[in-house]
Amino acid sequence: MGITGLAKLIADFAPNAIKENEIKNHFGRKIAIDASMSLYQFLIAVRSEGAQLTSADGETTSHIMGTFYRTIRLLENGIKPVYVFDGKPPQMKSSELEKRADRRQEAQKSLEKAEEAGDATGIDKFSKRLVKVTSTHTTECKELLKLMGVPFVEAPCEAEAQCAAMVKAGKVYATATEDMDALTFGSPVLLRHMTFSEARKMPIQEFQLDSVLETMEMSRDEFIDLCILLGCDYCNSIKGVGPKRAIELMRQYKSLENIIENLDTKKYQVPEDWPYKEARRLFIEPEITDPETIDLKWIDPDEEGLVKFLCGNRGFNEDRVRNGAKKLIKARSGTTQGRLDSFFSVSSTPNKRKAEEAKAAAEASKKAKKGNYSKRGRAK
Amino acid sequence: MFEARLLKSGQLKKILEAIKELLKEATFDCSDSGIQLQAMDDAHVSLVSMCLKSTGFDKFRCDRNLSMGINLESMVKIMKCCSNDDIMTIKAQDNADTLTIMFETSNQEKMSDYEMKLMNLDQEHLGIPETNYSCIIKMPSTEFARICRDLSQFGESVIIACTKDGVKFSTSGDIGSANVKLSQNSSIDKEEEGVTIEMQQAVCLTFACRYLNLFCKAAPLSPQVILSMSGDVPLVVEYQIEELGYIRYYLAPKIEEDD
Repeated sequence: MGITGLAKLIADFAPNAIKENEIKNHFGRKIAIDASMSLYQFLIAVRSEGAQLTSADGETTSHIMGTFYRTIRLLENGIKPVYVFDGKPPQMKSSELEKRADRRQEAQKSLEKAEEAGDATGIDKFSKRLVKVTSTHTTECKELLKLMGVPFVEAPCEAEAQCAAMVKAGKVYATATEDMDALTFGSPVLLRHMTFSEARKMPIQEFQLDSVLETMEMSRDEFIDLCILLGCDYCNSIKGVGPKRAIELMRQYKSLENIIENLDTKKYQVPEDWPYKEARRLFIEPEITDPETIDLKWIDPDEEGLVKFLCGNRGFNEDRVRNGAKKLIKARSGTTQGRLDSFFSVSSTPNKRKAEEAKAAAEASKKAKKGNYSKRGRAK
Repeated sequence: MFEARLLKSGQLKKILEAIKELLKEATFDCSDSGIQLQAMDDAHVSLVSMCLKSTGFDKFRCDRNLSMGINLESMVKIMKCCSNDDIMTIKAQDNADTLTIMFETSNQEKMSDYEMKLMNLDQEHLGIPETNYSCIIKMPSTEFARICRDLSQFGESVIIACTKDGVKFSTSGDIGSANVKLSQNSSIDKEEEGVTIEMQQAVCLTFACRYLNLFCKAAPLSPQVILSMSGDVPLVVEYQIEELGYIRYYLAPKIEEDD
């Protein structure tokens, strides 16, 4: 999922690009949420005694529960969410999706084994791996969002790409997803842990693309190439090139073409017919709906509709649902506090000492690596 | 090397009291013209801008520009160790990671010094444009504090409406509503007790009481407060610190929903 090891790489090389904040500090902002990611989280996390929540006739309701209560929580914190759903996956993702299907099958087998052996932790572990967001889940969620008065957007292709385009167009402040490739798609701001449960007390991580690029001294194109080198959903990466090596190669050669030309083919095997150019194009010009044509409107919730939808068959408690609807109405009414940074422009001076330290650390590791190689060379 | 000597440590005590509830930590930027601080609160609703001129100190020396990241809570703890008319000296080496604060009693019988660790803070400076405010209201700082305190019992936000005749503070909440109106009066003998309004255009804006109350903690610094307002821009609440400089608070207004 996403870009392998990118979050850690950014934390190591551009720590000033990451900020941690409480959820309430994002009040007054419109935020695009990667719906598939959040649904997946809910299916995994919203459970009772290890099993997903279900309605009277056994249909899963974890995702509905999650969407309902966590959206209310966002609105109560003054955040205006807009959910963005995935469209059809791009052609290039098919091999990645096949891999995922394989893994799912393996998990299925392991689950059966665990069930036979009566290994409870095993059952829990593998059943979570089997979780998949189906089209029923997404349709149900869209219906729920409509009743809640929260807007959603159907992306023609990848949701992260659509989110990124909306942030760039100034329609929303940030993309909320766990998938780091939102940055590769060019989302200026990425928020992680937005839809996590309140009980986990996870601070919201905020990644600023501009400071990432500035501190890593990279252009956006170089950054995209770096992400492909790290490993994305659309093509394989070069075997044996990990995060540290990837960033070194990018710094030295500046583009994938140059890297392939200069790479020591004895040590590293570039995949045959490596479709990196197509992957790059997907990141630069993804298939999206023009954000200017999207009209985002938050309207009053339909309380009776919500009660009808959630209670009854799906077995939600009516009082709680009505309570939730009241919270939704309350969050909408009245004036909202303005943000000072929307009046004055931020001329952020990145913490010099922190950036220098990061640089020094990078240099040091570079030297250490070089040292290793030369030793190895001598041993031969 | 940075060194600043202040004859009344009480002044700095009051300054810290006036900002410590908005900011947990802040960077003090020292240069040969003085000490400056600019920081937003965590929620990015308000901003504190403080300036202490070098000429206001008894002695001031700053060879190289220095940014000191200070945990305000720790500094408040240190400032509690002195009495208001102790003489205080702040010292730091260039590129130091500690700050030394010394107190001496006026009769020089007792000397104490405290060392405090400095921090590395992410600075987010805001460019504040020069604004010609439509209304500038001067009033006694205790009166302003009183009004904010009284009105915050009734509602979360206060509407400040300024017209030619005067300025009106109003709020409403679950129990009812409250209105306080002040008219211009400069006839009183003491200038600082008067209310003056310079107005080009009537303004009416809504602000969160909670923040106004936090700003009022600066009232002991100055007998007068200056409120500057214009339509749809942040309010400025300014307290002049005698001979030393000023503290300005900026507060983003509450806005009506647009969709």
